[in-house]
Amino acid sequence: MVGLAALNSSTTESAADAARAHDGPPATPADVERRDAEFAREALPWIDDVYRFALSLTRDESDADDVVQETYLRAYRSWHTFIPGTDCRRWLFTICRNVFLRSRERQRPTVDLEDGEQDALAAGTVYEAARESGYGDLYARLDIGPALKDAIGELAEPFRSAVILVDVEDLSYESAAEVMGVPIGTVRSRLFRGRRLLQEKLASLAAEYGLAPTSAGSDR
Amino acid sequence: MSAPPRNQLEAMGLSASCADVVRHLWDYLDDQLTPDGAERLRAHMASCTTCRGYSDYQACFLEAVAKLRTGTDAPSSLRDRLAAGLKSEGCSCWEAVKKGKDAS
Repeated sequence: MVGLAALNSSTTESAADAARAHDGPPATPADVERRDAEFAREALPWIDDVYRFALSLTRDESDADDVVQETYLRAYRSWHTFIPGTDCRRWLFTICRNVFLRSRERQRPTVDLEDGEQDALAAGTVYEAARESGYGDLYARLDIGPALKDAIGELAEPFRSAVILVDVEDLSYESAAEVMGVPIGTVRSRLFRGRRLLQEKLASLAAEYGLAPTSAGSDR
Repeated sequence: MSAPPRNQLEAMGLSASCADVVRHLWDYLDDQLTPDGAERLRAHMASCTTCRGYSDYQACFLEAVAKLRTGTDAPSSLRDRLAAGLKSEGCSCWEAVKKGKDAS
């Protein structure tokens, strides 16, 4: 459980959000009406996406519900900080991740990261080992979706967020960097580490379950 | 797992070009390489079955991850709860939450 009771609903999102502020909160009934119409048009279509992201982060349906609820309430209260014409889904993901992180005791995990390139190279050796064992076409042969979903759930933060944002939700490195509040190079490092860990996990599962290999090493 | 340095990759029998593919394939598949760099990788993979196999392997993996995006929608109980929360905030569009994305 993520301890959502600790959430502080009145907290504003971040300095970045403050920098977005333009007109301020609505002052007249006409402003309120306009804000609500914008909110319905821009923010509400992304409820399923935000829920999916929250579920990936929390790995618990009840906690995901809490995170989504808090995300949308915060988004509504601070709608005046959203810049029209920008990517509302990304803005909601940023709030969602902040809500999630603030709900945990350790809000901002700090991980000693290797260069992403090292993980790219390590992934090559994972492939080589899989190929030698006859699992080189594992991803093409089997529906790995369920195992992959579990493996992503077991990934440590911040690797999980990087994989979900870029590979599942199809955000650019730049957008993911904004959501995670880190430089683009850090997104790359975290993404590559996450992919490499996932591939190691899947290769390990294939061996553990004794999946029938194709003719070992025959594809070279 | 520790990653092998470049000379180790080459010692494993990979050419410098193959090592570049291993090193930069994710950048290539993520469309993060310069046009020249991407073209160099493409040209090598066109003539190297091993690297094509590796590229297919990684592309299949990324495709499988991307497929996870479909199939999980917010439950109606959450939409009801969120609608109630927005209503209590004075949001006039709270009913639209229940209608789902198709009606938004």
